Amino acid sequence: MIGFLRIPGSARRPAWPAALLVAAIVLSSTGAGARTAVATRAAVAPVAIKRGGTLKIVTELGALWSCNFSPFVPPVNATPDSWGFIYEPLYFVNGFAKPGMPVETGMLATSYRWGAGARTLTFTLRPGVRWSDGQPLTAADVVFTFNMIKQYPALDLAGAWQVLTSVAQQGTDKVVMTLKPGAVPSFPSIAEQTYIVAQHIWSRVGNPTTYVDKAPVGTGPVLMQQCTPQNITYVRNPDYWQPGRPYIDKILFPAYTSNPPANLDLSRDPGDWGGQFMPSIQSYYIAKDPQYRHYWFPPASNNDVFINLTRAPLSARALRQAMVYAIDKQRVSLIGEYGYEPPADQTGVLLPVFGRWYDKALADSYGYRYDPQKAISLLQQAGFTRGSSGIFQTKDGKPLSFSMIVIAGNTDSVACVKIVSDDLRKVGIDVKIEALSGDAFNARLFTGDYDLAWSGVGGGITPYYELRNLLDSANTAPIGKTAATNWERYRSAEADGLFDAFAHTTDSAKQRKIMDQIENVMLRDVPVIPVVQGVWWFQWSDRVFVGWPTPQNPYANPCPYCAPDLDIVINNLHLR
Amino acid sequence: MDRSTAVDGPTGHVRGGAVRLSPLGRVGAAVLANRKAAAGALLLALFTAVALLAPLIAPYDPEASDFLPTAPPSAAHWLGTTSLGQDVLSQVIWGARPSLVIGLIAGIVATVISILVGVTAAYRGGLPDLLLSLATDVFLVLPALPLMIVIAAYLKGSGTWVLIAVIVVTGWAFGARQLRAQALSLRGREFLEAARVRGERGSYVIVCEMLPTMTSLIAANVLGAALYAVLAAAGLQFLGLGDINAISWGSMLYWAQNNEALQTGAPLWAIVPGLCIALLGAALALLNYAFDELSNPALRAARRARGRRAP
Amino acid sequence: MAVIARRLVFFVITLWAALTINFFLPRLMPGGPVLAMMSRFRGHVTPQAMRSLELAFGVDIHENLLAQYIQYLGDIAQGRFGLSVSFFPVPVAQILMQALPWTLGLIGVTTIISFALGTLIGMVAAWRRGGLADSVLPPVLVVVSAFPYFWFGLICIYLFSAGLGWFPSGFAYDLGSPVALSWSFAGQVLRHAALPAFTITITSIGGWLLTMRNNMIATLSEDYVRMARAKGLSPLRIMVLYAGRNAVLPNITGFALSLGFVLSGALLTEIVFTYPGLGYLLYQAVVGEDYPLMQAIFLLITVAVLAAVLLADVANVLLDPRTRGHQYR
Repeated sequence: MIGFLRIPGSARRPAWPAALLVAAIVLSSTGAGARTAVATRAAVAPVAIKRGGTLKIVTELGALWSCNFSPFVPPVNATPDSWGFIYEPLYFVNGFAKPGMPVETGMLATSYRWGAGARTLTFTLRPGVRWSDGQPLTAADVVFTFNMIKQYPALDLAGAWQVLTSVAQQGTDKVVMTLKPGAVPSFPSIAEQTYIVAQHIWSRVGNPTTYVDKAPVGTGPVLMQQCTPQNITYVRNPDYWQPGRPYIDKILFPAYTSNPPANLDLSRDPGDWGGQFMPSIQSYYIAKDPQYRHYWFPPASNNDVFINLTRAPLSARALRQAMVYAIDKQRVSLIGEYGYEPPADQTGVLLPVFGRWYDKALADSYGYRYDPQKAISLLQQAGFTRGSSGIFQTKDGKPLSFSMIVIAGNTDSVACVKIVSDDLRKVGIDVKIEALSGDAFNARLFTGDYDLAWSGVGGGITPYYELRNLLDSANTAPIGKTAATNWERYRSAEADGLFDAFAHTTDSAKQRKIMDQIENVMLRDVPVIPVVQGVWWFQWSDRVFVGWPTPQNPYANPCPYCAPDLDIVINNLHLR
Repeated sequence: MDRSTAVDGPTGHVRGGAVRLSPLGRVGAAVLANRKAAAGALLLALFTAVALLAPLIAPYDPEASDFLPTAPPSAAHWLGTTSLGQDVLSQVIWGARPSLVIGLIAGIVATVISILVGVTAAYRGGLPDLLLSLATDVFLVLPALPLMIVIAAYLKGSGTWVLIAVIVVTGWAFGARQLRAQALSLRGREFLEAARVRGERGSYVIVCEMLPTMTSLIAANVLGAALYAVLAAAGLQFLGLGDINAISWGSMLYWAQNNEALQTGAPLWAIVPGLCIALLGAALALLNYAFDELSNPALRAARRARGRRAP
Repeated sequence: MAVIARRLVFFVITLWAALTINFFLPRLMPGGPVLAMMSRFRGHVTPQAMRSLELAFGVDIHENLLAQYIQYLGDIAQGRFGLSVSFFPVPVAQILMQALPWTLGLIGVTTIISFALGTLIGMVAAWRRGGLADSVLPPVLVVVSAFPYFWFGLICIYLFSAGLGWFPSGFAYDLGSPVALSWSFAGQVLRHAALPAFTITITSIGGWLLTMRNNMIATLSEDYVRMARAKGLSPLRIMVLYAGRNAVLPNITGFALSLGFVLSGALLTEIVFTYPGLGYLLYQAVVGEDYPLMQAIFLLITVAVLAAVLLADVANVLLDPRTRGHQYR
């Protein structure tokens, strides 16, 4: 040990920074997609809600705080300190309520409307919202924020301007955006992942790219009271636009530089909000207070074996297909990840959460499963011969010997990779593990200087996002140049066309058909091998605070490093 | 140099009862006579034996992850198993090899360089001294961590040699300074003047006159460098910068810590490798006592007289 | 004196050489800050955005190396350390200032304590050979100093913090407590520093002790000590002023070096005890290829160590006439 810095035993979270997840509005977003709501209420409705209390967040940061609360800087190790706490977006999209059918809730906006052909998007702002310095939030702030981002492209973390063409104010409380065609899937980048800042402050900072926001002024439920390298203290915002909320008084957010001290605290304290990878969680955490303690690890995106498709013999499809049969995903999940991360499917579709997108018949027709004998026979059919050492060789006598790179600091990744390489060796493919420091790893992965690699890309509320990151040729680059997310260098006009078509339609039946074809690409061409499904980490205890999101009441993504969902959670928690 | 007088034949017995021993014999006698040093030597011998005999005495293949993970100690697994299902005892036994190899090789090489640079600089003085001292100081402030990453990148990450290289490169400078300081204080001594007046060459003066007087410090340096190497290697492995593939005590601690062995009911996995490193280090440190006795006559006088002649 | 002037010149030359190495070493590492930033953004930023970021870092990798080097030397001379990459865009100086006091406090104080204690005990142990101080304390402390530091720290946490609850298990002071100059805050700091300080001191005393004891034994056999004994001077006076003062000389250099290295922090301490010091910052900077932060910390360490070495040499010259570099005639 590190999102881009891996430190020992850390960063057991999906590779994609939580807040850069691009969620999708799948259904019926054209025409009148107006939603009006206030923040969802907690399922528990006690008679009188107790106020007060200090909540502590326990999640490994892997660094010390730099006390810069600018919302335009990527959070260190994908752990935001201002998104959702202090700054808020226009809308909150909950992909957890009914997987595949996200629920939208207005935050700084109360409703939105798509124009004809999804070429314009109009937001109506919520009245009565104030900045923490007392000034009112106006449409001008929203317009200013978006135009500032346009002027300084380095601020565009969510990629909103990849689909926007203009943003303007309409009347006193409306903002009209014009978009390029095929922009519907990018709604979350605009509405949920772009955080609004105050014009009266940010118009005076000079270059916002290098501005250090030490005393942030926002609309969020808490105010930043004190920040030191070891801890941030937030206090309740008494003028928050949701009357009466938040119920809690204070939030402590310590900077844990490695996992074990965080786990120690989490296991001892009665009521922390945990976002931790904990080994042996039953005995270490749950058993200490089994009546009140729980954990829930919702799926995020896959951890894959990336295969460098430009290198022979890895370019041979049969070899890749054989590798899928060789890997015992169940064992990787159990031993490498303590069983927390379920085995993945070769389609790359998270199961069972995206079940309605999954083409089971298609997957069954391919029949991928753990079957070393089948792997061996596939290799033999493909023309590889087994040498005396047990390792297969190509027709030219070159042995199937590869190196797999992994980030040294993530012990669970290293454990998974060990098992994968053992499995491959059993079927005659020799794999050597190279554990590299974070940036050495990234350098080789991005520029394509590897045979096999263990990594993952970000996902979203439908499989579209993860698969597009993996397969779309817009996300790749030639060997030697840095590729964005398509590191295996997969290029096909077919795949590109499918993703394009998906973005241009809002008919759910059509989208599902397109998705089936995309899944076929994964099954047929095996550009990467999804092995286990990465999860969001979440532990909680009902002993001190109640109102948590649970599998029975998934009103938001529960992890403490997931924004803007943490905003909703903060507003629902209260003392028991 | 053995100016014996009344030596009685091949047994080396001197008339009069005093025993005249060869240099190696004197080392052995010094070690055995001093309890602490004897303990240290015993530990070192024990670890060496374990390292050499690892294939024979380890109950299982240390890499084999076929067993029940995180199991408590049992008859089949005396120290339990790791979270990957490997036998801890086998790993401890096999882990002795890298630790010993790194410690001894890095320690000796670093000290040799220290001696060459430090003593030569002190003796020659002038421009050679200036240049060597410059090099010493520059290497002194060289940061180990990025150096480690650079070397690992260029050696394509072959763990043990990278560790040795980094430890040697970052470790020799400290000893060189110490040795130079002591050599400087010896420089004006009469016996050296005498040697020069006799016409002896510089290298003779250094090797045969200066170094023997400094054996105490040199021995301390070798042992200190070896200790530093063992601990530095363990530290780097603990951070995950060593060779992940190789089983060593340091990498065991890395895995144990990241799977929080202490807290999750597998404490032996975390305690035993650290204890082994500690005992190996202690052995090296305790051996220092023997070298004091050997090189410094004043120390021998403190023991009960055994008829040994003072030189 | 000519000797001291020569040492000063030497200091400057060494500083320059070390700075040059500190410039090139990070650039030999694979990757680079742009890639580091790229992975943080995970490809969601367009090439124009990346370019504007590069310019904002001040790490313009398209400039040739020599120009960058000259720029680097100039920046150092003017105290401009630039913006950190891993904490972008917080200035490096600000980040360092926050961590510096903790490192100086914990590591600095414990270094001094362990040197003082180790030297004292070593001196007494050598004086009373075969006595209690010689036969029990040195072996025990020497063995303890061979413990791998992080392992010992983890066990201490396991026993004294998680187990007995006597000490907090991490951080420099209670979370959320306001940072103020007050007795209660000082109390917190001491309580949080107790366990790390204990583990550092205990594991480093042995080294000082052993070298002091060895030097002392060598010194005690010198003629002038025998002369002092023969003259009937008090044992305490002989032990400290005659033998001790000379025996400690080789150690002064080592001590000065240790003080210099205080600024590199104690990475393993800070990891195990979650202490917000320079050691962890350095590690973070190295692994994250944060050139500006790395170079600033290297600069601090280089200057501190070389200055310490300079002071130690000056002290040696002043205290030990033998080292005044007279040439052979």
